[in-house]
Amino acid sequence: MSSERRAVVTGIGVVAPNGIGADAFWKATREGVCVLDRVSREGCEELPLRVAGEVRGFDPQEAVESRFTVQTDRFTHFAMAAADLALADARLETGGGSPFDVGVVTAAGSGGGEFGQRELQQLWGKGPRFVGPYQSIAWFYAASTGQISIRGGFKGPCGVLTNDEAGGLDALAHARRGIRRGARAVVVGSAEAPLAPYSAVCQLGYEELSRSGDPARAYLPFTGDACGFAPAEGGAMLVLEEEGAARGRGAAVRAVVAGHAATFTGTDGWQRSREGLAHAARAALAEAGCAPEEVDVVFADALGVPEADRAEALALADVLGPRASRVPVTAPKTGTGRAYCGGPVLDTAAAVLAMESGVVPPTPNVVDVAHDLDLVTRTARPAELRTALVLARGLMGCNAALVLRRGSGTDRP
Amino acid sequence: MNDSLTFGDLATLMKSCAGVSVDPAEMESRPAATFEEFGLDSLGLLGVVAALENRRGAPIGPGAESCRTPHEFLALANDRLAA
Repeated sequence: MSSERRAVVTGIGVVAPNGIGADAFWKATREGVCVLDRVSREGCEELPLRVAGEVRGFDPQEAVESRFTVQTDRFTHFAMAAADLALADARLETGGGSPFDVGVVTAAGSGGGEFGQRELQQLWGKGPRFVGPYQSIAWFYAASTGQISIRGGFKGPCGVLTNDEAGGLDALAHARRGIRRGARAVVVGSAEAPLAPYSAVCQLGYEELSRSGDPARAYLPFTGDACGFAPAEGGAMLVLEEEGAARGRGAAVRAVVAGHAATFTGTDGWQRSREGLAHAARAALAEAGCAPEEVDVVFADALGVPEADRAEALALADVLGPRASRVPVTAPKTGTGRAYCGGPVLDTAAAVLAMESGVVPPTPNVVDVAHDLDLVTRTARPAELRTALVLARGLMGCNAALVLRRGSGTDRP
Repeated sequence: MNDSLTFGDLATLMKSCAGVSVDPAEMESRPAATFEEFGLDSLGLLGVVAALENRRGAPIGPGAESCRTPHEFLALANDRLAA
């Protein structure tokens, strides 16, 4: 094992409803700020999807060059901006060395809906000759990986995962594989922009989607009032590096991506995800060489559907045993909404920041927990955190678990 | 009204269709410089041709999308549009 090339987190870039940049995101997350609000996007006024987490402080003109604002969708603007933030945070010099040393991996579940809608409107409004050629690449799930790769000159292992929300965690595992096979660094993560009217309508078929119009009550997982989830846009990109290379250049090792596993339990009832999550968590812990007793905090998937919440609580009991009711569990996403594939990457970023800060961030809006879990509510809780378990599920039946170990980088105040 | 396409018109189209900013005077003064050098990829040129054709209501015809330089493109387009 000692000869294995380990993947470590050296940079975090966030574009989230509750903050742009890791510092702003962490401040809001730690304070349990809820930014869920009524959807304000033009064209969404009459939709039954009423509450979501919008990224409101983001100016694409400022974040990326004008050719990208014309040629790519909002989800790619988010991803490119987050990648820039992550690379700056890591202080990774990508100019020297071989371009094949650095790769890019993203996960995507929503694609470029805003761009696609605009071009479809051209199609039925004016005719096929008025559909712009960039439609061929901008809507596509792989667009963010491609644009980040081209813009940064990253010719190492590149890929895109389109396997459900849990793909956000699977992307990290895929990036880690690239590092094991020789890459020096991989820019990895996911950002989504699912709030254009076209994208919002696509989600109305999900019975798990909250129809509530009250931002404080729309997304209350693990409570008796759970009524589904509120969606969000945004996400995070991380810089994953080979540990030796990171240490060699004097970079702070923020966390070690120690274990991952994924399972698939289909769409035939959320109770099946109990077994799927438990199996993924056990396998991820086993790969990390981590006993269940060592888990200091759990970042829950927290879907907000009673049956799914129960399945997750039972999965944690299956994996952690009697300790399950004492290990702090949190779901900061109740303050921002679920950003599809971007959600698990935001949870991963929060887990790294939590370990550095020695506090478990709270679960905004959630007060009365209806399960035998020690869900951190109201305010952040100080705790010595060495190992974090991040769980994710997708609406189409994918489950994933990621185990992070605290790095030896500097602590955050 | 003069219908011929200028470097200024082309620069405007490159900006609106592909978000690429170019100085028309620079395009004019460098006959050998390619679209690629000015930051316009093949999809961008496709968009420029379509926008031009939609505006004029007439096809520019074959070959426009494969022009390598702005000079080549303007010569071909103005030739076709004058015909």
